[in-house]
Amino acid sequence: MAHLCFFSLLVLSLVFETQTLTPSHHLTPTDVARLQAVLSQPLTDLKSAYYSVVGLHKLGIFVADADETCRFIKSNLDPSSVESLFYAAEASQALSGCEISLSNETRDLLLATVSEDSTASQIHQSVSALSSLGLPLASQEVVSALKARISKEDNVLAIVLALQTASRLSQQAELGDILEEIEDLAARLDDLGGEYLQFEEGLEATALFVSAAYALSDHVDMEPPLKEDQVIQLVNSIFSKKSWDSLSEAFSVASAAAALSNNHFHVPVIVSAQGPAAVSHSQPFLQLQVTDVLCQPLRSARVLVESASAVSSKSAILSQAQFTLRDGVFELNFMASQPASGYYQFSVVIDGDRRFVANHVELKVKVSTRVAINNMDLSVVDKDQSIGPKTTRVEYSTKAKASFMADSHQNFVMMFQLVDETTGVELTPHQTFVRLHNQKTGQEVVFVAEPDSKNLYKFELDTAERKTEFDSISGTYALYLMVGDATLDNPILWNVADVVLKFLDEEAPSAIQAKTLYTPKPEIQHLFREPEKKPPTVVSNAFTALVLSPFLLLLILWFKLGANISNFTLSPSTILFHIGHAAMLGLMYVYWTHLDMFQTLKYLAIIGSLTFLAGNRMLAQKAVKRIAAEQSSRLAKYRSLR
Amino acid sequence: MSNSVFSVLSRFVEEYRSSTPNKLKMIDAYMLYILLTGVFQFLYCVLVGTFPFNSFLSGFISCVGCFILAVCLRIQINPQNKGDFLTVSPERAFADFLFAHTVLHLVVVNFVG
Repeated sequence: MAHLCFFSLLVLSLVFETQTLTPSHHLTPTDVARLQAVLSQPLTDLKSAYYSVVGLHKLGIFVADADETCRFIKSNLDPSSVESLFYAAEASQALSGCEISLSNETRDLLLATVSEDSTASQIHQSVSALSSLGLPLASQEVVSALKARISKEDNVLAIVLALQTASRLSQQAELGDILEEIEDLAARLDDLGGEYLQFEEGLEATALFVSAAYALSDHVDMEPPLKEDQVIQLVNSIFSKKSWDSLSEAFSVASAAAALSNNHFHVPVIVSAQGPAAVSHSQPFLQLQVTDVLCQPLRSARVLVESASAVSSKSAILSQAQFTLRDGVFELNFMASQPASGYYQFSVVIDGDRRFVANHVELKVKVSTRVAINNMDLSVVDKDQSIGPKTTRVEYSTKAKASFMADSHQNFVMMFQLVDETTGVELTPHQTFVRLHNQKTGQEVVFVAEPDSKNLYKFELDTAERKTEFDSISGTYALYLMVGDATLDNPILWNVADVVLKFLDEEAPSAIQAKTLYTPKPEIQHLFREPEKKPPTVVSNAFTALVLSPFLLLLILWFKLGANISNFTLSPSTILFHIGHAAMLGLMYVYWTHLDMFQTLKYLAIIGSLTFLAGNRMLAQKAVKRIAAEQSSRLAKYRSLR
Repeated sequence: MSNSVFSVLSRFVEEYRSSTPNKLKMIDAYMLYILLTGVFQFLYCVLVGTFPFNSFLSGFISCVGCFILAVCLRIQINPQNKGDFLTVSPERAFADFLFAHTVLHLVVVNFVG
């Protein structure tokens, strides 16, 4: 194994892949900046002032011109509206040095709003206003009013506001029932594909729920009944939307983010690589950024590699190695363990605070290297092996000076080795191709070079066997070697030599026909079904007459036999019967020309039943007559016999 | 040989003329008419071609059906067969004949196209 020291160092590149129990969506620093920008828009009214000021306060940002904002709030305050008082009170509390004083009537108005008759939203606004302005309120009354409102207004938003209100009350109040609402609300969340958890009312409701639940849980110091997976799914839902439709939506996301990064129980951890496959020449360090949902680094965290193993061989490389924190980034010198090139599966744990959620992360790390080509030997071997091969050794990135000649009696052979530049270990990259390019005709043929059992690559070109690929065009071909792989930092395209090939049965080098793939094809003429030949009208008319002629014969025969209608009685049933029968025959004709089966059956049913009834009566009368006649004739015969 | 055939035939015709009631003769004439109509249709098909095949079939089947129904009527009306058809009076036979014809014509007109 040759150690080639004059090539550069091995580099390390990182590819990350996170799996299910970790957040798939989170706010990047640009998203956080965008959120701040949305919340920093110029103020239009008191409501937008509330959202902007309080939202920025939650993100930990102080409003630029606090005095100007304070004046704006005071001038837009309407003391007769509870909503307006709420916005003003909350906003002024978020600004430092902005005091709002209220008259007694206003205070009484706020206190009076706390009752079962106001909506949950109104109770929330008045309690928050009183609490922000430091005015006293009766917590127990509030609790009973809230409980009444929750049972009346069963919707998600009302209950969320109730939770938020409860977090402003005194800790001595009985907040147990309201605390149970968190669990009930959590059961109403929709699970989307196991990855997202949100209310059908939308993103804003989900985000407000998160911030209210954690506010109340922190207030009473009881862990909210949300499992780790649920917290991560909520994170995915809330932070999957990166541009917000309205100021209130942006505010709700900011509240949720603030709640999730700063509560006593659950802090989701976001682990991301420092730059994607960012490699630098002398960068043997695996770098991770470990932050909370607001992209603030977690200083108290300890990052540990539980195990690292090669993906292909499953052999463990590292175990229990710790990352060091440097400039807010956690890094580990992976190259110190001298891994071979390829992919490695890392299992990383973030410790240090029992509040951390989703602190087990799986990463896929790529170790790449540079390849070197050794012992490139080119030779032309006679097929019958009578003349020994002359091998020419070519050094990498130079071209062989003489060109090689091979005709149908000879084989052209190329042998080489691919090794790792630093360690000298033999490599088998995914792509090792040999390309022969005819400069005159522009034709190129590509072959694959295969390694044998000792990882020695050999390429053999039998001119007689391969002449179809070359179209039997003789000439000078430039020979290129192409080597590539995902874990190689230096893919190779090397013009090794020129090869002159001579083929038997050479056709005159015809101009390469442009492929006729994209030219218009000949038009297909569709042959429509020929209608059948009809006989001439004369013939059909003649035969029609012929077919109808026996009817005449029938009439003649009947006349000769003495058919008559002398027995035709003019009773109504007879007439009706004959009319009905004629109508049925007429209906058949009309059916043939105009109607369809359903209509015909309908008419037939009507006419047929009439005809049947009339015919029945008529035939019965006939039968009676016939029996009477038979009896009388029998009687006459009997009498004559006597 | 032909002599005896001829004599049998003439005897048959003579008997037919004399002993067959008029009603039956009328039905026989009707049956002859139907037969000829069917034969002519078939002749057309053989000579000229089966172009509207469904029409030919419906016409031909109509002739066959009518012939059969006429045969049934003749059998049921014949006074010599009275013993076999005690429950069927001639009027009833005729009514059945008409009803069967209605159904037959419905089908035929449906198929003739």
